Amino acid sequence: MSTVWLPLGVIAHARSGDKGDIVNIGIIARERHWFPVLKQGVTSGWLAEAWEEQVLGRIKVYEVPGIGALNCIMEKALQGGGTVSLRTDAQGKSMGQATLTVRVEVDRALAERLGVPLDEASQDRRGTIPIPVLA
Amino acid sequence: MPARGGVTRIAGAGGFWGDQVMAPITLMEGADIDYLTMDYLSEVTMSIMHKQKARDKTSGWATDLFDWLEAGGLELLKKKNTKLVTNAGGANPGACAEAVLGLACALGWVDCQIAIVVGDDIHPRIEHMNADGILTDLSGKSVDEALTAKLISAHAYIGAGPIARALEQGADIVLSGRVADASLIVGSMLHAEGWAKNSVAAELPICSPIESWAPMELHHPLDVIAGWTLAGHLIECGAQVTGGNADSWADITDLVNLGYPIAEIATDGSSVITKPEGSGGAVTRANVAEQMLYEIGDPASYFTPDVILDITAVSLDEIGTDRVAVAGARGRPRPDNLKVSSCFLDGWFTSATLLVPGPQAIAKAKATDYILLSRLARLDELVIHTEFLGTGITMPKGGIELQEDLPEVMIRWSVKSPNRTDVEIFGKSVAPLVLTGPAGVCGYSARPRPRSQLRFVPLLVSRETVEAKVEIPMLRTLRKALTERRPDLETRVFNRLQRISENENRIITKRIASRVLRGLERPVGRGKVN
Repeated sequence: MSTVWLPLGVIAHARSGDKGDIVNIGIIARERHWFPVLKQGVTSGWLAEAWEEQVLGRIKVYEVPGIGALNCIMEKALQGGGTVSLRTDAQGKSMGQATLTVRVEVDRALAERLGVPLDEASQDRRGTIPIPVLA
Repeated sequence: MPARGGVTRIAGAGGFWGDQVMAPITLMEGADIDYLTMDYLSEVTMSIMHKQKARDKTSGWATDLFDWLEAGGLELLKKKNTKLVTNAGGANPGACAEAVLGLACALGWVDCQIAIVVGDDIHPRIEHMNADGILTDLSGKSVDEALTAKLISAHAYIGAGPIARALEQGADIVLSGRVADASLIVGSMLHAEGWAKNSVAAELPICSPIESWAPMELHHPLDVIAGWTLAGHLIECGAQVTGGNADSWADITDLVNLGYPIAEIATDGSSVITKPEGSGGAVTRANVAEQMLYEIGDPASYFTPDVILDITAVSLDEIGTDRVAVAGARGRPRPDNLKVSSCFLDGWFTSATLLVPGPQAIAKAKATDYILLSRLARLDELVIHTEFLGTGITMPKGGIELQEDLPEVMIRWSVKSPNRTDVEIFGKSVAPLVLTGPAGVCGYSARPRPRSQLRFVPLLVSRETVEAKVEIPMLRTLRKALTERRPDLETRVFNRLQRISENENRIITKRIASRVLRGLERPVGRGKVN
């Protein structure tokens, strides 16, 4: 299967919040029928790699099919919790928006079929080689 | 209460103690609302309130409530026949009620019925509870005695039942302690839909499962409770569902006058999320979806004191401008345990910032940080967290990268230590960097002071051991209470004081008489308790 890398923000929008030392990021497909693309791109492994410096615990991704969304739970994400974290963003409120800037790998044919815009697509995770959009 | 247009209109007029104080007034001026709900409590608010209460026994509740009630809110509640349901009572619902009663009295709303919901504060019993084995951590393991001994507050999250029963007793205003956010809304619905009335008629306990309060003909009461809980969850953070904190922020017009949410909640558990006409913001499928997932765990099992909520099959549909229909929530019987929010004091912390200008801003910032860390290296227990703001500190791997040097960088140090003096020494070491570090460093302010740090500890407690109660403090003033006991005081003392305060020429005497009279109008005593 031929894949492309897209900034997550092209496919989805997000909001994050805290509960104790847990951060959750709700990631919602911009179009409900893009949900399969979102599921391909966002996995616990992908999140673990992106947040390896900040998140020390388990990561679990739950599906919310009714609205085409994923709820991502990241444990040990706030240096012990929002009240004791020394970070400026002690409650993980920026993490949803920040996650949207990272590229995800998705099946190119599927993305095209579902009408996901590929203007920002690239052939690698760093986004260095843009893929020309087919007319 | 008769529902308007077949639905009950419930507003969420604030997301935490610190949200826009006058939002409830704007909401009531802009729309007709049956119940105005306000969540003032976050994970550590209760502990902060306990600290306040220890200093002053009339404090320990969300005083923002009083500010908007005094600024015209109380009159609006009366005029528009809107019930107020809020957990502003915090760690001291009784004192909160006294303040609000006093205000109602002063404004001439003499038959204003205020109910308080108490019983959430389990701190006095926490060590016994632990010894009895009914207290656990979130994974169900027993709790270390050393931990319970150092807790400074512990509140169980109470459900909707007591709120509903307070309203059923005729309360115009319900002030609670740690009632779960969404339960404020569910409690209002139990009252609006007659479930509370059923429970009184059937003599069901105030903390019994609320599905047992449902009308006989209703087939899936748990799904209805789930729907009401979801509506509550959507509006409990105020304007976060109407366009605040939204990914679509750039498309939203008028965040200046952002409207707070109203849920039009139906008998069957479905709801429509909307906002006052003419207010700013946007109620869209996207914005409601973001709030639906906000601060939840497993979407198939969101635990509340009233129900276990499953939102996996919920649908959101835009049915008009600023109108999103919510349906499809499912519920399972409530959990056996209540969540407990507790805290202990865990050392000291503070933070400070300095601005470092270019050229070579990043190199200078790193040098400045190195100098500070080296000067403080002898403090073994001091933890220093340095952030170079503007260089990508919020970014994950693969996110937006810093391409080159910046025109300027803000350094932020945040520190903690078990020793207050360590944090004090840090506070005194920041400003000197302006004279003793790289060129052009600026932007220091007063020495940052050590602040005590609260560590939040979530626990679970067996729900049978937590008995919530509704109390209705009577609107009885000191003057009334004294007159009941000694009717002669009215003519012999109070009327004379009245004359002096009105006609006395000597200004001091006049002022003293007025002050005594004002004191006599203070509400006192606690009335009916059930």
